[in-house]
Amino acid sequence: MHNALRELIGRLPLQFRILYRQFLLRVVDLEALSIQADVVGFLGQFAGVLIMVSMIYAFRAFIYVWDPTAPAATLLSSAWSAEQSLIATMMLVIGLFAVISWDATFPDRRDVMVLSPLPVTARTVLAAKVAASAALLGLAVLALNIASGIAWPLVLGITKGGILGALQSCAAYWFTMIAASAFLYCSVLTIQGFTALLLPRRIFLRLSAVLQLAAFALFLGMYFLQPSLTTPAAMAAPENQWLLACSPSFWFFALFNQLNGSLPSELAWLAWRAWIGLGAVVCGAAASLLLCYLRTMKRTVEEPDLMPGVRGSHWTPCFGSPLQTAIVLFSVRTLMRSRQHRVAYAFYLALVFAIALSWLSSELSSTAPAPLPMDFIVSTFLMMSFAVAGLRSVFSLPISLTANWVLRTTQLCSSEKYIDATRRALLFFAVVPAWLLSALLSLAFRPFGLVAAHLAVLALVGCILAELALIGFYKVPFTCSYLPGKANAQVVFWGFLIVFAPLALVGAEIEQGALGPPARFICMLTVLATSAVGLWAFNRHQAQSAILYFEELPEEIITTLGLMSYQPSRK
Amino acid sequence: MLELQNVSKHFSGIPAVDDVSFSARPGEVTGYLGPNGSGKSTTMKMITGLIEMTSGQILFRGKPIQEDLIAYKRRMGYVPEEPYLYNHLSGAEYLTMIAQLRGLPAKQSSDCIDGLLRLLSLYDDRHASISGYSKGMRQKVLIAAALQHNPELILLDEPFSGLDVGSALVLRSLIQELAARGKVVLFSSHELDTVERVCSHIVILHRGKLVADDSIERLRALMELPTLEAIFSQLAVEQDTDSMARQIADLIHA
Repeated sequence: MHNALRELIGRLPLQFRILYRQFLLRVVDLEALSIQADVVGFLGQFAGVLIMVSMIYAFRAFIYVWDPTAPAATLLSSAWSAEQSLIATMMLVIGLFAVISWDATFPDRRDVMVLSPLPVTARTVLAAKVAASAALLGLAVLALNIASGIAWPLVLGITKGGILGALQSCAAYWFTMIAASAFLYCSVLTIQGFTALLLPRRIFLRLSAVLQLAAFALFLGMYFLQPSLTTPAAMAAPENQWLLACSPSFWFFALFNQLNGSLPSELAWLAWRAWIGLGAVVCGAAASLLLCYLRTMKRTVEEPDLMPGVRGSHWTPCFGSPLQTAIVLFSVRTLMRSRQHRVAYAFYLALVFAIALSWLSSELSSTAPAPLPMDFIVSTFLMMSFAVAGLRSVFSLPISLTANWVLRTTQLCSSEKYIDATRRALLFFAVVPAWLLSALLSLAFRPFGLVAAHLAVLALVGCILAELALIGFYKVPFTCSYLPGKANAQVVFWGFLIVFAPLALVGAEIEQGALGPPARFICMLTVLATSAVGLWAFNRHQAQSAILYFEELPEEIITTLGLMSYQPSRK
Repeated sequence: MLELQNVSKHFSGIPAVDDVSFSARPGEVTGYLGPNGSGKSTTMKMITGLIEMTSGQILFRGKPIQEDLIAYKRRMGYVPEEPYLYNHLSGAEYLTMIAQLRGLPAKQSSDCIDGLLRLLSLYDDRHASISGYSKGMRQKVLIAAALQHNPELILLDEPFSGLDVGSALVLRSLIQELAARGKVVLFSSHELDTVERVCSHIVILHRGKLVADDSIERLRALMELPTLEAIFSQLAVEQDTDSMARQIADLIHA
């Protein structure tokens, strides 16, 4: 089997194989990784996270089947809920993959400049790029369904029609998942491709960044905000028809049930939407890719990526001393202009907004002001945590390690001043936005006294989180990497999920208890303020003796084979 | 005066720079020459404080630079060999950031940056991202960043790289003008014609060791050779260049 596969691969053209290997590792933005990053290990860890999610879904399947007392309606509702959730999660993962690998399938300037002088056809480049994207997409689909893709079809199929039913369910499940993934990825390719074809290159490059962020917000928003319709009545309700018609995850839910033979006839139109949508976007993606490789490869060379700017001024907002202003402006410009930093931070901000919207949608929809609920307190704590932790982790993504020499040769102040500047950046771009968003949302609640008290607590919590994030961070933002290839993505992901949510809940409970009696509230404020000041003093003290760390490309090390000292024996 | 006293740098025990001593005086341009891999850029990085030396010491105005590295950095301007810059910033933003990091007064630095951008023909592109700059434009940004604080010590590692003829002529005159104004200029380059025209004092490095440290006139007289190229070839080029060229042509022809 292995030999046959090797023989098959060996029959592929050599140019295709070489380019495929190159593009496979470039689908994920290598610049975002550390100089010591192990790309394969990094991808493996993300696959591991997806496999864990798959295991959780598989576990849900066994709970579903081992509940003999549940009535048929409850079982149907559970099954529909799981199917919708699995499809929505699959689409979210592929959506995030499409955002992270934005532009990876299209020829960029580097490809054109390097490959054009070589005897490589555009067709080979296109085939290698598509194959690389498809391989990673396939890996994501496989990892996310490796356990759930067996457990759920088995459970659903056996309860319906024995072994044959299970086989039918299994085929329907895998076809639906692959189709849903292809639909989403091809939709993104179609939009990108036609935008690239229709617009001048430099306008496309600017719009592309906006489109990328919009896609990010859309995928996360859809996932968190879309309700689950788990009963035939909810599916048939007139107020839900618009949602069903617009949401592709419901189309593919219907497609799965159609292939599985369990679709109510009144929902057949949804399955047809899936077929039509899939056909349209696959054709659209193929056409746009072909046209891009035929037309825009030349334009990529002829049209500059950037034109001389005509606007701008020497005026810069002041964020303290010149050094602090320089570091804060450097941070904001990096966040706004660097694609990988923007996307990474947008991911955390999207989580913040998703939490805000999903937890508060019911409260905000009511017309009368509501009393300050526990959900609001928890959600604002979570928002603050994600904003600070997100920015702190984005700070660790390097922008250009080779350019760090300039910060080292101009390091004319103590490390303390640089760390103080980093603190300001963290406060301005994480704590203040999260606090302002919370303040805006808090307008829906009463009494204002309690809301103001909570906002005061939130501000102090933000300061504490910022100081916690700065412990041991003796760096200028974006000048060092956190070695994502070395970090254990599994631990980070689950740790993040397990630590922050319970902490926010506990914190909210403590705060709610202290919001009533003024003495307890003052006591709580004093404890928080003392903690914030204590942490600030600790960080300042540590910073005084800290040596600012700049990660750079490793020094060239001359490696010898030790042959100089080898004396051959003479016989 | 900049003085290197028995400076060595070892990587994994192997000497990249071995016991190098020379001095660069104010008012003259010191040329620092050597073939690829001879240790020139390593020496430059040690002089800037970017890498630490294994042994020896570097003195500026009679004091070891490590004694007060911050005060030393204030007086130093450095153009590195490779034009590595923060590409997401514009030329004006980059220079403003450097001025802020150096703590230069805002108004003064703004005027200086505008003037440098105009004189280096970068003014029209000052708000464009550096990622769109040509190699020559990047080199000009590096030169402006190295000079905007009026340093006493100027370290130039291949400063002519990528510059067009006009800009190269301006830079050549600028180097001489800065030296004439009492700056210490250490200038590393492979362009021997330019070095011969600009520098009064030459230091040649070969395999990490110093092989020449004198004025060009004295070297010419001592070695009885007419040009710097001939001196350099005798001291630092080991191969028979014509034979090597023939071998390469034969190899690709085969």
